[in-house]
Amino acid sequence: MDQRLRRNLDRALNPAVVAVIGDKRQSGYMWLRSMQTFSGHVYSVQVNPDEAAGIAELGVRNFASVREIPEPVDYAVCAVPRHVAPRVLVDCIASGVAGIGMFTSGFAETGEELGIRLQDEVVLLARDAGIALIGPNCMGLYNPRLGVRFSQDQPAGAGGRVALVSQSGTHALNVSLMAAANGILLSKAVSVGNAVVLDLPDYLDYFLDDPETDVIAIYVEGPRDGRRFAEALRRAAARKPVVVWKGGLTPAGQRATMSHTASLAASPELFRGLLRQANAISVNSVDELLDVLQLLVRCKPGTGARLGLMAMTGGQSVVITDAFERAGLEVPTLTDRSYTELSEFFNIVGGSYRNPLDMGGTIRDSSENLDRLLHILDADTHVDGIVMEISALFQARRWVREPAALDALVTQLKAHQQQSAKPFLAVLHPSFAEAEVVTARPRVQAAGIAALPSFDRAALALRRVTDRARRAAGMLPLDSATP
Amino acid sequence: MTLAIAIARARSEGRHLLTEVEAKDALAAADLPVVTTRLASTADEAAAIARDVGYPVVCKITSPDIVHKSDVGGVRVALADEAAVRRAFDEILAAAQAAVPDARIHGVAVQRMAPAGVELIVGVTTDPQFGPVIMFGTGGVLVELFRDVAFRVVPLAPRDAREMVHEIRGVKLLQGFRGQPACDVAAVERLLCQVSDFVEANPQVRELDLNPVFAYPEGVTAVDARIVLSEED
Repeated sequence: MDQRLRRNLDRALNPAVVAVIGDKRQSGYMWLRSMQTFSGHVYSVQVNPDEAAGIAELGVRNFASVREIPEPVDYAVCAVPRHVAPRVLVDCIASGVAGIGMFTSGFAETGEELGIRLQDEVVLLARDAGIALIGPNCMGLYNPRLGVRFSQDQPAGAGGRVALVSQSGTHALNVSLMAAANGILLSKAVSVGNAVVLDLPDYLDYFLDDPETDVIAIYVEGPRDGRRFAEALRRAAARKPVVVWKGGLTPAGQRATMSHTASLAASPELFRGLLRQANAISVNSVDELLDVLQLLVRCKPGTGARLGLMAMTGGQSVVITDAFERAGLEVPTLTDRSYTELSEFFNIVGGSYRNPLDMGGTIRDSSENLDRLLHILDADTHVDGIVMEISALFQARRWVREPAALDALVTQLKAHQQQSAKPFLAVLHPSFAEAEVVTARPRVQAAGIAALPSFDRAALALRRVTDRARRAAGMLPLDSATP
Repeated sequence: MTLAIAIARARSEGRHLLTEVEAKDALAAADLPVVTTRLASTADEAAAIARDVGYPVVCKITSPDIVHKSDVGGVRVALADEAAVRRAFDEILAAAQAAVPDARIHGVAVQRMAPAGVELIVGVTTDPQFGPVIMFGTGGVLVELFRDVAFRVVPLAPRDAREMVHEIRGVKLLQGFRGQPACDVAAVERLLCQVSDFVEANPQVRELDLNPVFAYPEGVTAVDARIVLSEED
């Protein structure tokens, strides 16, 4: 990406002036409505006089051409039919628009001659002018801080530290919404579409240098240029955590010979190797992506595998251990010193403190005891990280009766997390009392505590961020043979 | 023989596949650990090479027209003395000429029969998306069944090689499984980096197979080697 293109992409992602070209009543003026949260100036470009009234109702000034807009446009959304797209692009270039998000589809993705020809035309124009063409066939850009959106459901007003780059518009939308639902705000999101001018490596390079971005999440189906993608991924993941959700199978490609290597060089295995080489975190679903993002954003990074586990009951102590061992993490015995301290107050009737701490009876009526448990695990030299079950099964009734009880717990956990150097995460399972869980989860997350929905998901996510931290520290990942 | 010479010769004969001797010579010239393998044109030469490299030896037909050497009776193993080598030389040539009468015969390759070690495989293919890619895994006849392999894209950093070795389940064989001595893991990692350097320096190499590679308590040795060139330089 040359300097001119980078500068234009930067302007498009941080715009002061936005133009929406070709929005219409039939689509519910989705673009203009999405941009109602934008902190800068929004203009409409629509030549159809029948649309003028509807656009005026939204309080947006309309022009017949982008050339007539009275100030420089940083970002234009292009929602016109495909045969008009090249002409709109010419207008945008002529009036100095920095970036254009081309929602218009029907290009090379159709596989038909006209679509391919139109795309070629658009690419030539854009490349020559150095305009930051996003797409085509995409949802464009999202900047929550500035209120630049591609859906009215996306939050606006505040931004976060996670950038999202997605080859799918749907996943760009869904991940941005699901992340927000889990209290994770994005710095920016890009739906890259056909990625004909700006491709995944360009966005990776941009977010690598973006001071608002600490973590990069990618949804990719097939990079257009594998080597460029691999190189950009290595560069980016060396500086910031990069999480890659790979969808679909890459084309098997040509297999020229029948040698062992060729017959085994299946793309999913190769892709996994590539991610390991770059030290990017691999995930297989939106759920896994969100779990990992929660840990990256909320937990202190750690390279150790040994966990102190805190469960409410004996049955949960058994399965939480299984979950973390299965994920290749360890549940060690504690130090003698910890056992001595625990023996002084732990309620061993129906409970045990070997690790996991089967703590229900010990903390039920004493937040002070919970503090002591956290303190002991924090000080224990056999323990690298702490995982605690928050159980709606046993506590939901109390949260309803006494909402302050949950607040007190959250405050206590937050205080622990702030003073402890060890990764800490909570597991808050779905429950029979789902309404209470739905209320409780954001309260835990709002305190900056990772709250995952199951032992297994927590374990897998922790394994992944631990491996990343280990590789970054020059260590081998945990036993790689574990699936 | 360096790779450049081997390539020139293969191209002049319209081949993309180097012979085993050409491939091994090229790799040895780049300091990769391959079993010394030399070409004999006569039974006398075969006997002299065998004496040089040490018994027991293996003899194989070397012909650009014969890919599956065993199928035509072109391989004799565990030859313990000079008489056996001379006999094998004559028999191999006769069998090859009988099976493929028009075959261009370069000669008979003579190599020391490497003592068995932990069997590994190292391969390179050129992926249409990612370019040259290295595969490493446990070798042997069951390689395709267990798929105990790790992939990385060229170039490999030492860290990648180390991780590849530890990624396969067969790492336990290298670490000394069931009372066996531990193998020279550092030499395995070095070999992977050398293979990466070799294909990076030689973009004409489209495929490379070292199969098997034997790992020992000290060092590693590629027993067989195969190189396929790209269509054009």
